[in-house]
Amino acid sequence: MDIKEHKFSFIKKWISIARDMNLIFSHEFKVVFKDRGVVIIFILASLIYPLLYCGLYRNETLVDVPIAVVDCSRSKLSTELLRHVDATQDVKIVSSFSTLAEAKEAFNARKVHGVMYIPSDFNKKISTSQQATVSIYCDMSSFLYYRALMQASNYSILDMGKQIQVEKLNAEGITGESAEIVSSPIQYNGVALFNGGNGFASFLMPAILILIIHQTLFFGIGMIAGTSREENRFHELVSSSLHRGGIFRVVIGKCACYLALYIVFSYYILELIPHIFNLPHIGNSVDIMFLMIPFLLATIFFSMTISVFIPNRETGMILFLFFSLILLFLSGISWPRSNINGFWRTFSWIFPATHGIQGYIKINTMGADLRHVSFEYISLWIQTAIYFVTTSWSYHWQINKSYKKELIKADD
Amino acid sequence: MSNNIFSSIQKTLKRELSRMLSRPIYFLGTVVVMTFCFVFFLTLFNEGQPNKMPIGVVDLDQSTISRQYIRNLDATQQAKVIMKLHSHKEAREEMQRGKIYAFVEIKHNFAADVVSNRRPTLTFYVNNAYLVAGSLLLKDITYMSALSSGAVQRQILRAKGVEESRLMGIIQPITIDTHLIGNPWANYGTYLLNVLLPGVLQLMVLMMTIFVVGVEFKESSSHQWLENANNSIFGALTGKLLPYTFIFTLFGIIGNVLLYSYMHYPLNSGIGWMFLTTFLFVLASQSIGVLLIGLTPVLSDGVTMAAFYGLLGFTYAGFTFPIEQMPGMARIFSDFFPIRHYFNIYVNQALHGVNLSQSISSYVALIAFNILPLFVYHRLKNAAIIQNYPTK
Repeated sequence: MDIKEHKFSFIKKWISIARDMNLIFSHEFKVVFKDRGVVIIFILASLIYPLLYCGLYRNETLVDVPIAVVDCSRSKLSTELLRHVDATQDVKIVSSFSTLAEAKEAFNARKVHGVMYIPSDFNKKISTSQQATVSIYCDMSSFLYYRALMQASNYSILDMGKQIQVEKLNAEGITGESAEIVSSPIQYNGVALFNGGNGFASFLMPAILILIIHQTLFFGIGMIAGTSREENRFHELVSSSLHRGGIFRVVIGKCACYLALYIVFSYYILELIPHIFNLPHIGNSVDIMFLMIPFLLATIFFSMTISVFIPNRETGMILFLFFSLILLFLSGISWPRSNINGFWRTFSWIFPATHGIQGYIKINTMGADLRHVSFEYISLWIQTAIYFVTTSWSYHWQINKSYKKELIKADD
Repeated sequence: MSNNIFSSIQKTLKRELSRMLSRPIYFLGTVVVMTFCFVFFLTLFNEGQPNKMPIGVVDLDQSTISRQYIRNLDATQQAKVIMKLHSHKEAREEMQRGKIYAFVEIKHNFAADVVSNRRPTLTFYVNNAYLVAGSLLLKDITYMSALSSGAVQRQILRAKGVEESRLMGIIQPITIDTHLIGNPWANYGTYLLNVLLPGVLQLMVLMMTIFVVGVEFKESSSHQWLENANNSIFGALTGKLLPYTFIFTLFGIIGNVLLYSYMHYPLNSGIGWMFLTTFLFVLASQSIGVLLIGLTPVLSDGVTMAAFYGLLGFTYAGFTFPIEQMPGMARIFSDFFPIRHYFNIYVNQALHGVNLSQSISSYVALIAFNILPLFVYHRLKNAAIIQNYPTK
């Protein structure tokens, strides 16, 4: 009898939990879709930002960067070298000057982003078996200019160097196989294992995509919380939280709403967008999904924790928008993680974005599987647990505060 | 009349100053955020270039030559050998874990092949998913390998009796002498901070401009705001925004001083020109803020629009990916971002140190942004009086 009753109340309790959570869940959906501001952040921003940034960075590498040349040698060799340089994909020779000063003028007017200078003794030095020097001047306003010019000149000069070398060796009486041995006793070649095309979008966009998910969730949840605080609506949650443990129903109910939305968005942002824009996508989609679950949960609970302290609907974005940039650099995608000092590296572990970006890039761009990203994966689950607890605490505190305020108001 | 304007500015200024003390957001959105960014970025890039990045080696040869080569690699500026691995597969996995950014593979019998002229191959792999680390390491390892190859070449040629004076002309007939204009050591701090800090400044100017104006509409105090300014929207806006012009210009100038005097980043013009640019840049950003909040007197919409615009500014400065290499449609918008003009002036003046005339059009553009508030002049005034906009 006792056992039966106990069992019955147990079931009843679960039914009530499920009903409460369902109520909070569907209520939160209404809140999201009724608020224009939240719809813009959650839905419009998630939809448009990936398209926009992929569009802007669509050209992965620089093509035909305009450069000037000063050929004081005017020899067959120098002409050939310049033709070689011009033929590369990276740069294009748009003007040719007779003095360096003239070239400098064009450079300063930013008509060209680099200058190649071949001195008058170029041919003579080569014909007398001395080292000849070619000078290049690079525009450092964007490192991509610098890289394009270095690539083009290195490639062309090495190539020509090899030809000259063979001729010289022949002249020394070293021919055939023995010339080959001398010309490259050790052969070496560098291979880019991932992002083999050196693409800028392929490098940056995966990080941006994760950041879009992280930041839209953060600002959207912040706006919802700020608005309910402004309107003192937290007490609406009181009825369900008054039961013992009821706070979990509130927190989980709300979380389920955001999670449901963002599972759909994540599919769009992390599966469709890379397909549409030809971004690297060699990872296993199931692994990505497994990583995304703790990432989304950690981000949601992290945002909910902070959101309690956001007094107004706009505050979150005003004060934390700049943080998108900080998160991008903390993730270690650009400035390598190994070179971020200990303080900032520890600081970066606070944010789900850090592990989300690293984990996603490792799986998506480098084809790692889940066991290779165990550090990120476990960290995200730890964050989920910690931020779930902090969310529950802060919600409990905020709801009680709001409830008391309401009581005082009722007394008046 | 002018007296009237002056008094309206003065009264609004007084009102705004007392409002600034009323809520923490005013202090957080100006002093705290800017200070945090200075500290963050200056301490993040203080190395200049990422040095001693972790790499691995798969040394299947274990010879004197291969060990010497690894020691040489370890001595390069950018690389540090932290792992000795046993196979390509293992090395690749360590790379996928993100523990190493590159690895070199030295095959069995490498040394024996070198000695007996069988031309062995050295292969190295870099991870370009981290483009900065990947390309710097590729450069360093290639250089090191070329040196190693050159050393062997020299031995062979000497043995064949080639004259010493002609050795280098045969080993490396053409050398490159590289000049990096304005940033001779390819310092990432110089490259990034000169745009990132103004970018954050622009973002915060926009946010705070929209906030301080928009909050009047949101809290339905706009009527009182205008009344206090003798019903002059010009006076009301000027008095309200003046404290922020001052604060943000001050922080912009602190940024200039930090970069050019403290970090000694290249400055090939007078620092005064950068101060002036910073001041005009703050004004231009404020004007855009007024335009955005004028288009929609709803605070949270204004903030969302500014967020969108402000973040795009980092892309449209054109310092990471040059504007002229973007798709045609995207290019035309860059001129609508003050940071683009700031960037142009910075490149011309600070980095290249060219004649000021080169930058005049950018200065003019920055000033021209101040016309923008005129477009929403009446709209703002009407909205302030009628207060008929939704607060949400």
